[in-house]
Amino acid sequence: MTFATLLLVAAGIGPGSSVAECTAVDPVGPAYYAIELVTTRRVPGSYMATGTASVSYAASPFGISLAEDGSYALDLSIGVERLAAARTGTYVAWLTRPDLSEVVRLGPLDAEHRITGSTAWNKFLVVISLEPDGAAPGERWTGPIVLRGMSRSGKMHTMAGHGPFQSEPCATFGYR
Amino acid sequence: MRFAVLPLAFGLALPAAAQHEHHHHVAPPPADSVAWRMVPMPANMPMMPGMESLVPPTAPWLPGLGIDPMQFPEAEPRQVVRVEDGDTLDLTASIVRKTIAGKPIVMFGYNRQIPGPLLRAERGSKVIVRFTNDIEMPTTVHWHGLRHDWRFDGVPGVGQAPVERKESFTYELRFPDTGIFWYHPHIREDVQQDLGMYGNMLVDPESDAWYAPANREEVVILDDILVDEYGLLPYGDDSPTHALMGRFGNVMLVNGDTAYRLEVDRGEVVRFFLTNVANSRTFNVVFGGAPIKVVASDVSKFEREVAVRSVVIAPAERYVVDVLFDRPGTYTITNTIQAVDHFRGEFFPHVDTLGAVTVSGREASPSFAASFADLRVNTDVSEDIDAFRPHFDRAPDRRLELTLRHRDLPQITVAMMEMDTLYVSPAEFNDPMPEMNWLSTSKQVEWILRDLDTGRENMDIDWRFGEGEVVKIRLFNNPKSFHPMNHPFHIHGQRFLVLDVDGVRNTNLVWKDTAIVPVGSTVDFLVDMSNPGKWMAHCHIAEHLHSGMMLGFEVGDPGTH
Repeated sequence: MTFATLLLVAAGIGPGSSVAECTAVDPVGPAYYAIELVTTRRVPGSYMATGTASVSYAASPFGISLAEDGSYALDLSIGVERLAAARTGTYVAWLTRPDLSEVVRLGPLDAEHRITGSTAWNKFLVVISLEPDGAAPGERWTGPIVLRGMSRSGKMHTMAGHGPFQSEPCATFGYR
Repeated sequence: MRFAVLPLAFGLALPAAAQHEHHHHVAPPPADSVAWRMVPMPANMPMMPGMESLVPPTAPWLPGLGIDPMQFPEAEPRQVVRVEDGDTLDLTASIVRKTIAGKPIVMFGYNRQIPGPLLRAERGSKVIVRFTNDIEMPTTVHWHGLRHDWRFDGVPGVGQAPVERKESFTYELRFPDTGIFWYHPHIREDVQQDLGMYGNMLVDPESDAWYAPANREEVVILDDILVDEYGLLPYGDDSPTHALMGRFGNVMLVNGDTAYRLEVDRGEVVRFFLTNVANSRTFNVVFGGAPIKVVASDVSKFEREVAVRSVVIAPAERYVVDVLFDRPGTYTITNTIQAVDHFRGEFFPHVDTLGAVTVSGREASPSFAASFADLRVNTDVSEDIDAFRPHFDRAPDRRLELTLRHRDLPQITVAMMEMDTLYVSPAEFNDPMPEMNWLSTSKQVEWILRDLDTGRENMDIDWRFGEGEVVKIRLFNNPKSFHPMNHPFHIHGQRFLVLDVDGVRNTNLVWKDTAIVPVGSTVDFLVDMSNPGKWMAHCHIAEHLHSGMMLGFEVGDPGTH
């Protein structure tokens, strides 16, 4: 096995990878950046649930939409399938940074389990929780997480101390 | 495309490992030689194992014929040249010297100026330009954005032959559209344009009411240049380096300099005519928090003016923006981005200072603050577009896939690229892999425009359209290619609307000649094929263009014009 092959296997993109081939089709949004929502199976009626958060660029006079700090300005269209209606409580969509340091409440899913929103975070998680009836909208979810997904950018992670950089001193780069 | 044979001493490359700025002391190269030096890298970015001794598989090249830079004349600031209908202008490309980051650098200028002269013309006028080449390689002048006669479009092998050293070519220019346009070479832009061969054409409107009133106008060219402690990083002799991502500079330039300054009075509305001439960098321009109003782009005003907080401008694009400076003090103009660090797997905020605007305590007179607050609706633009609306919803006439293939890249580059594609940004605002990028040349990387209906690629594509035909071109930037990247796509000689991005209709249209196609996106252009001739369309990242990413098309019967 070559060094390159080792690297690819280590990265999980060798033979048998589930990365789908992308072809030119009618435009439906950049599928590459679509976020798959995966059930936690913690909530009755959600065992078979699947969902997608489609990502598109917020309206802008420019070819690509950025916030003032350079982050992408994104519109999200979230849809969940095969999710039973909640017996009690309300399904609520949230966005959070990967370290959960900031949470934004997008709002309750509609009757068709859909909601739209926007963000200017480059890396984030989408969370669908089941919030108790009558609960005041809080700053973060209190009920169980039903589905969650990660922005495509979440697949970008440190190489320090791994693969070709295993001999690099991780501490130099902030990792221990 | 090779340079002309140059009397340079090649082959004296120092071992790259001995030149890495983070690991070793670097001995300056001999003054009369050109040697590869390790590309500058961010201090926190490690060198790839196994790459220490690699250099690009092409000879290094620097301008100036090996002559002491001090022997060349200092580049002069840009001059404004007002050209009237029927005027003749002499334009000469020559070798000049410019001090950047404290280093005397040999560059190229038009009429010894960097940027080249600003040609200010009336809409509808015609001007003759007698061009002479006095640089050390063949060149041409492309008049970017002009819908004029294809024979004077400056594309070698299409409208004209290359202009060899000491030879001349006479261009006839027409200015059918109001706005900001620019000129640059169409031979080895990665070198010639990067070295200072660029200038603007500002075409004035027929009516003072075309734009809202402003207290002053500033024509601003954004650029970057790649230097280290010894000066300019060499270019590839017979093929561009940085073929994967384009040559990102590490020093930002505004109108060719690092110290752009402007002094205004409090409450002034300044109209900036922005052009990005960088090889690859897309800027996100922030005016220190001052409110911005987007007025126009490449070939027209917008249907509606828009208030924004920053201006995203890709290579070769232009934007006309009004900025209100309503507080005394200093506004720092920045390129504010979220850069990518693939090593750490993170985005990180990065700010480059582009210049500064100092606002006095004196009240601007007259005040245009009220008109600045008014976002105008340009019905004339919408009415011009109305004739094209019946074409908006029809199927695309042509479909292009944007991708690439590679051969003989270092194995480590191939492996790292495959890992990188676990996530690729919609657009690259920094070079997160300067070493691998530098090592890639157009010998190893072929960027591809593939006609999805015929399978033809790049210059094998030979589209033909009728004069006046309205053509929908769908571009798909394949995110699963070996190294996906954004592409600022330029169509010569015509104008187009960016109709849809990923199926989302653009509700505020503007006529363009260059528009960005983000990674993974499907973008529909509606092209007004109204200008007969033989034309080009290509990615305007210079290194992508010279790695094959171009096609030719014909409109009408060029022979009759």
